[in-house]
Amino acid sequence: MAMNERDQDRREIGLEEGRRAAVVAYALIAIAVVLLLLGSYYGLFISPPERFMGDVQRIMYVHVPTAWNAMLALTFAFVSALLYLFTSRWVWDARLEAAVEVGVVLSFLLCVQGAIWARPTWGVWWDWDPRLTTTAVMLFAFIAILALRRSVDDSSKRAAWSAVATIIAFVDVPIVYFSVKWWNSLHQMQSTPKTVSPAFYIPLRTNAVGILFLLIGLMILRSRVAASRIREELAAPPPASTPATVRVER
Amino acid sequence: MNGIIQGGWGFVWSAYGVTAFVLLFYTASVIMRYQKSRKQSNH
Repeated sequence: MAMNERDQDRREIGLEEGRRAAVVAYALIAIAVVLLLLGSYYGLFISPPERFMGDVQRIMYVHVPTAWNAMLALTFAFVSALLYLFTSRWVWDARLEAAVEVGVVLSFLLCVQGAIWARPTWGVWWDWDPRLTTTAVMLFAFIAILALRRSVDDSSKRAAWSAVATIIAFVDVPIVYFSVKWWNSLHQMQSTPKTVSPAFYIPLRTNAVGILFLLIGLMILRSRVAASRIREELAAPPPASTPATVRVER
Repeated sequence: MNGIIQGGWGFVWSAYGVTAFVLLFYTASVIMRYQKSRKQSNH
């Protein structure tokens, strides 16, 4: 990387630690809490029960927004991985770390909510159905990337390896999305405005926007934590060479 | 048996409860880590 690009990279890492972004993040989180409370209240107490699933269908108002936002976070991780590999700028490594972590939390939540919904509707907590299986693969693939990042000390190797791993893991994300169209699945097709009754729009969209704001707020703060750590690592002097022999003092 | 699921509020509350718990716990964890990293970078 040329000198002026290195300077720009340092400035960007510094920007990640700026206070203005934190204020925006806290504001987004506060709005998200309000939206999620309103959406959940509407979904639990105002929206009518569904014709066949009855009240159990109310789980949709948290499950579907979680799914949309989990995929969005993992797509952002994929974009960050590509941008890191093309530009070698640390800011994209920090954003990748944040997006993968938030995506893993939402994917985990997605699986738990799905299991709770599956029990009364399918009669089982879990089934090796294409949608559920590909979602589980997605969750464990991205958990493996977080584990990889924890196990590598060298910042450059960690950034490059996790960017490549993220691109590989992301192959499963469109498979998760299209699995219900490609294969015969127990899981219903994607919920779209055409498949969801207008009576269900308000809580679904309110919670979706709520989780989206929460996702953005959390990713801003989490990427700043990662950026701060990367900056410390880059500023630290290289470790002293390991001695050839180790003397044991008695 | 009429093919319509009766009741099920226990599952609904469980799903909302788990969602609230996980999101609150993770949000608190991120905010605490952010505050800690800010303190460290100020020193």
